[in-house]
Amino acid sequence: MNDARPAALQSAVHAQALTKRYGDVLAVDNLELEIPAGQFFGLLGPNGSGKTTTIHMLSTLIRPSAGSAAVAGYDIRTEPIAVRASIGLVFQDSALDRTLSVAENLRFAGLLHNLTPALIEQRSGELLELFGLNDKQHRPVGSLSGGMRRALDIVRGVIHHPRILFLDEPTIGLDLPNRRKIWRFIERLRANTGMTVLLTTHYLEEADACDQVAFIYSGRIVQRGTPRAMVDALGRHIIEIEASDLSPLIESLKPRLGPALKEGDLAMFRYALEDLAPIAALQTELGPRVDALRIRRPNLNDVFLWVNSLQTKK
Amino acid sequence: MMLRPIYAVLEREVVRMFRQRTRLVSAMVRPLIWLFVIGAGFGTVLARANGVDYQQFLAPGVLGMTALFGAMLAALTLVYDKESGVMRMLIIAPFAHYWIIIAKTLSAALAGMVQALLLLVILAVLGYLDWKMSFALLALGIVMAALSCAGIGILVAAFTRTLDNFAAIMNFVIFPVFFLSGALYPIANLPALLKLVAMVNPFTYAVDLLKHAMLAPLTQSGTSELSVAVDFIVTAAFTVLAVIVASWRFSREQGYEPLIHILTGKRG
Repeated sequence: MNDARPAALQSAVHAQALTKRYGDVLAVDNLELEIPAGQFFGLLGPNGSGKTTTIHMLSTLIRPSAGSAAVAGYDIRTEPIAVRASIGLVFQDSALDRTLSVAENLRFAGLLHNLTPALIEQRSGELLELFGLNDKQHRPVGSLSGGMRRALDIVRGVIHHPRILFLDEPTIGLDLPNRRKIWRFIERLRANTGMTVLLTTHYLEEADACDQVAFIYSGRIVQRGTPRAMVDALGRHIIEIEASDLSPLIESLKPRLGPALKEGDLAMFRYALEDLAPIAALQTELGPRVDALRIRRPNLNDVFLWVNSLQTKK
Repeated sequence: MMLRPIYAVLEREVVRMFRQRTRLVSAMVRPLIWLFVIGAGFGTVLARANGVDYQQFLAPGVLGMTALFGAMLAALTLVYDKESGVMRMLIIAPFAHYWIIIAKTLSAALAGMVQALLLLVILAVLGYLDWKMSFALLALGIVMAALSCAGIGILVAAFTRTLDNFAAIMNFVIFPVFFLSGALYPIANLPALLKLVAMVNPFTYAVDLLKHAMLAPLTQSGTSELSVAVDFIVTAAFTVLAVIVASWRFSREQGYEPLIHILTGKRG
């Protein structure tokens, strides 16, 4: 099916001015996206920012209102079947049939992708092994735990060896140990197959492993880059101050520390210098006016919070 | 190219049918109650007509009823698939979405055929089958009954959003289709309005075809009211039309996106 295309694709996803309008609401607004083949790409943003709509347009399940996109080199408008043959999609909610067994679900998915029964059996074996489910082949899906079902849903999404895998909030609703497990599976899968992965999530610590991330807000990409570069751009440290009467404090510190991000009794400042002596001095100076003062390294969560706060102010 | 995906849908239907034993048992008990309770009961007050008693007259209608319920309920799993999310596996697969409707129609027809054949086996074991019937016509009758009933079912399923109104579907679709056909009484004797309804009901033609197969060899004049050719053409044309309309509706639903919203809970 993919024979007509060059084996080594330059870009797995290339979207230009991709737009989706629902009545007056712009769900996705002139989105530009370029994902090189083989990359692990994270599309991050708050609920309702357009992540899922973007994934559904790229996987040809909904039609864009304007703009264009090529996925695996195929046009999502004119070659939807070739696009769907090249991608795997794991939805936020399960696509599995709970009345069928693990093996029967994979057989169903494989046959829908025109795989031979022998090939389905071979790949099911390999993938279930990789995802730690090989002893569950004949269990009904309804009897699996939430974490196992999620893992199986991913196996279901890659049984046809897609070149690009879309993961829409793959760890939503899972507890921490299960989220970690899912991430290990995805890492192994990428190591084994080299497939391009486009992921949406709002558990940002998970996106740290991405080669590149983009923050989406109100249907527009507001910032993109490697997680490291984005975190570094934020500053060397985050200064957290806890106090009962924060607002005047934030105003008084603004000339020295810049604007703050306020969350309840907590204010967060970006601090660009490695030298912490001024902060120690500040702590002495503030004394009993603050309940706590903490210094820590920034992470992707901070980038997310700052990006969001800048967008909300607009 | 499409054989394996269609086979996948058929296989899933058969696996689920035999796994849901109560559904299968009730699919067998329902026609037997009609035949042995209603058939025997009314048989005591109704005269033999054209050389067959009422129970014999009822046999093709009850066989058709088995195909009707089997195919209808299987076609309605299209709605179950939308609700449970299994539809996601189908819409993301690499083929045009009208194939989902075609495959679902075929799998519903298969369910109807399998259940009609099971009933035939039960009737044969109980000694209620007259071996003088025409087996070629019987095979054609079962196939056309299953296909046209699958057509009715897929049409209803394509326009139905949730199985919450399943009782309404039973009351306003399945029962009228059964009652307003020639399954229980000859349509010639019906009042004009009911007769008109029966004549636009594709199930009437499917049952008539089964009467050709099962009753014609037993009687001189037969109990069928239409010709085999008319029965075949009407049931075939209806099935094709139903698949086209259901496909149109299903892909339109895709285009306007309510389906994908149901499947994704309108998030993100």
